[in-house]
Amino acid sequence: MSTELGGYMGKVIKINLNTQEVSEYPFTDQERKLFIGGKTMAAKILNDHFKGNEKPFSDENLLVITTGPLTGSGAPSSSRFNISTLSPQTGYITSSNCGGNFGYYLKKAGLDALILQGHCEKPSWIEIQNDHVVFHDARDLWGLKTSQTQQALDEKLKMKNGRVRKNGKICIGPAGENKVLYSCIVSNERVSGRGGTGAIMGYMNVKAVVASGNSTVKVVEKEKMVRHTQKWFKYLRNHPLTGNQLPKLGTAGLVSGMQMKNILSTKNYQYGQYDDFEKISGELLAEKYNIVNKGCLTCPIKCARTVEVDGKHVKGPELETLVLLGSGILNNDLESILKWNYELDELGMDTISCANTISYAMEANEKGLWDNGLVFSDQKAVSEIFEKIAYRQGIGDELALGSKRLSEKYGGKEFAIHAKGMELAAYEPRKSVGLGLGYAVSNRGGCHLNGGYLVILEGLGLSINPTTYHGKADLTMLFQDLMEMISATGQCLFTSYAFFPSPLMNHPNSWYTKACNKILPYCGGVVRMINKFPEIAFFHLPVFHHTKAFEYVTGMKMTFGHYIRCGERGYNLEREVNRKFGVDANKDALPKRLVETLQDPNDPNSKVPLEKMKKIYYKARGWDEKGIPTKKTLKKLKIGSDLID
Amino acid sequence: MISVKIYGVARLKAKVGSFTTNVKSMDELLGILPGISRKEAKDLVALVNGKPAKRNVQFHDGDEVVFLAPAGGG
Repeated sequence: MSTELGGYMGKVIKINLNTQEVSEYPFTDQERKLFIGGKTMAAKILNDHFKGNEKPFSDENLLVITTGPLTGSGAPSSSRFNISTLSPQTGYITSSNCGGNFGYYLKKAGLDALILQGHCEKPSWIEIQNDHVVFHDARDLWGLKTSQTQQALDEKLKMKNGRVRKNGKICIGPAGENKVLYSCIVSNERVSGRGGTGAIMGYMNVKAVVASGNSTVKVVEKEKMVRHTQKWFKYLRNHPLTGNQLPKLGTAGLVSGMQMKNILSTKNYQYGQYDDFEKISGELLAEKYNIVNKGCLTCPIKCARTVEVDGKHVKGPELETLVLLGSGILNNDLESILKWNYELDELGMDTISCANTISYAMEANEKGLWDNGLVFSDQKAVSEIFEKIAYRQGIGDELALGSKRLSEKYGGKEFAIHAKGMELAAYEPRKSVGLGLGYAVSNRGGCHLNGGYLVILEGLGLSINPTTYHGKADLTMLFQDLMEMISATGQCLFTSYAFFPSPLMNHPNSWYTKACNKILPYCGGVVRMINKFPEIAFFHLPVFHHTKAFEYVTGMKMTFGHYIRCGERGYNLEREVNRKFGVDANKDALPKRLVETLQDPNDPNSKVPLEKMKKIYYKARGWDEKGIPTKKTLKKLKIGSDLID
Repeated sequence: MISVKIYGVARLKAKVGSFTTNVKSMDELLGILPGISRKEAKDLVALVNGKPAKRNVQFHDGDEVVFLAPAGGG
């Protein structure tokens, strides 16, 4: 099924792993206009497929790997691809936006998306070259760690002249093979980390997928796009977040700010500050350990660190890993975190869920609920645990299930820090309550990004009141929809920071930034109007380059308002998938520690006023009081196959 | 005597993470941060003993002053 649009290759294929049959999956231009690509395209495919009674580990599940129209277009930070499936952690939809180069090469192979269903009879790896699919025996790769797997595949892809054919790969490590519920999929050193996508690939008996080819992405207005991209790169390089903080310190640079704002999750989210935070900070990482910055293809931000572990130059830890394997378990040894971060990537496990599961286990042990040998600040026990989890040995077999299931078995639900079964990110939400709402309602579970990342307004970028509920529901919806669409187009979410004009970030003490901080929480009504009638923003925003780029690449009309509407459609579509599997207001929950226990006994507002915010949020979203999108909302967004044409 | 700590990208510029000084006011302190001009210093977020501080604040012996810049990540 070809396409008239730029940015798309016009082909989606579905592979039945049981029969090795490859078929073209119909996806029309009308569907592309509505569901764009990335996670939203995947949600459309999953919504059309699922009835609501499927199980993650079954042949009825799908693993949907999608690109966006901007993937491979030359736009900044646009090498991204997405993986969506029914999560073994939550039982609901999960989506994971990943860097690396697989998305770029999937399009080189002539494909917008790849759908896998069923399972291979024996361990296999799949080669896609110019949309031709070949199955290979992967028994020699089974058991290998992720970098070993990728090196071994490169050996197999050597041509007669001895050079490796240019390719993009995804693969799983031992954790995925052994179906650890939070195992991930790796591409180069980048990770599709959250939701347990690696376990689904493990169930499918697929060790890796390799894509290559010589197709090119058609850009409708090439000259305009080149000029626009140059401006955009320059803008990102001059922006205080994307041009200064992220390149110089990476995401790790947030540790100190989080400490100051009491949002540095510490000792399994008991506290928001850690006395030894400087020992795990981004500043120390930059000064003592960072060798060179790295970035994904076409990315000017280069947020990744490179550090030395056991004599090798490897990817350094992100903020989440530093905090959750640092303050989260009272570990002040940065070198141990560098090593563990590498080990977890090699085994193919999500560092966030793994670390939070360990901190839950430590607290359960401390409280006498579960004698498991794990003790806060005891590095030795942790050093030995990762392989046990990945290979499902001893106590590792239980830890592989995540904190939700463990708390159901051993007790301590109030301190199993997850939402919908997926563990929360590193930001302690009692002093960033808007993010608390985001964690709870996020379609994929406890995710800061899918939750709208309001912490950037509540203390890290701007400094609006972090504990008031005012305005938070409407702002959460706006930022969720914005990021949903950025992800759907195939870009990195960090490009969304450009939405905040540089002067606000560069001059935090100016009258206009202070005014913005004061006023923003009380602009809920205005934000609600934008959310409800985004068409009123029928223009391009000067600080937001995404809309023009989308037009130049695809040839489709795109205003800022339309961009937000597409994001809203994507968010609701994922919610609709989740509704089929039983998600409602009761599932939009946080553990008691965060909603009932004060972080600061002297501050009555230092807990997440979740129920109050949820009511406002559901109303803003056009969902009923049970958190279900109304028919009117679905109709407005053209969700439902009968509503598309 | 007060202690001063600098975090974030400002620390990389200052090339020093912490120091002690006898200055009596924030205004005075903004002029002596290593590697950071007064103009740049005015654009840092300042906290005294963990609480946001204004430019006209006077210090007391033992105060801890922290400077940091807005940041984003994820």
